[in-house]
Amino acid sequence: MIDPDLDDLVMIDRPWIVLVWNDPVNLMSYVTYVFQKLFGYSKEKATELMLDVHEKGRAVVATCGREEAEMHVFRLHEHSLWATMEQDGPSS
Amino acid sequence: MALRRKFVPPVQAVKGGWRINLDVEERTLLIRLMGELEALLTSTDDNALLLRLFPVAYPEDDEKEAEYQRLMREELVASRLSAIESVRTTLDPERADLLSEGETIAFLQSTNAIRLVLGTMLGITDDESADDADTGDSPEHQLYDFLSWILEWTVRSLSPD
Repeated sequence: MIDPDLDDLVMIDRPWIVLVWNDPVNLMSYVTYVFQKLFGYSKEKATELMLDVHEKGRAVVATCGREEAEMHVFRLHEHSLWATMEQDGPSS
Repeated sequence: MALRRKFVPPVQAVKGGWRINLDVEERTLLIRLMGELEALLTSTDDNALLLRLFPVAYPEDDEKEAEYQRLMREELVASRLSAIESVRTTLDPERADLLSEGETIAFLQSTNAIRLVLGTMLGITDDESADDADTGDSPEHQLYDFLSWILEWTVRSLSPD
């Protein structure tokens, strides 16, 4: 548990999460393949994430520092996946 | 053509690389579409059809988003244009060599980008409209299906087990 008073300080160190959002055009097999290729996930793990995206509307595909997260987002955009990033926190 | 497709996938992994099994007409069509995508990407107008090719990275932070677009958009355009250029050579009907993995991925990315633009044109915005698109039979819907078919096989040919 994080003391709310410490929020501002803690914010600096909070990791960033990379999210992929559901979209109706990208093929499920394609999304699974991209997760495997970009993150080195096994087929099982990549399929699980793809199904999360499809069924829950979004999935966290990586948790890391900001620079690395931005590179992941860029590579996901290169593959035309709907990816965003935000700083992880107790409220999200 | 239908029979041939039943037995020979449009893209397949073979010993030493990847092979595209498309006829001249299909290759010409894809090369033309690549040209149209290139024209869209290099146009200075903001075109709504490109919406899906340049997603927002920071939806909740305008400042960071502006910075991301400033740094990355040009790179993203360059990456897409270089993939299109690669696809032009790999789809050349005269080309006899097998494709490398990089060329096959460029083909996958570019074909997928065209399908996304087409999906935007067809108004596919949710799962329901995607299902409608599956049953549509306009030339655009047929093209969309054709691209889906090619993509499925390309993904399959590239996917590690």
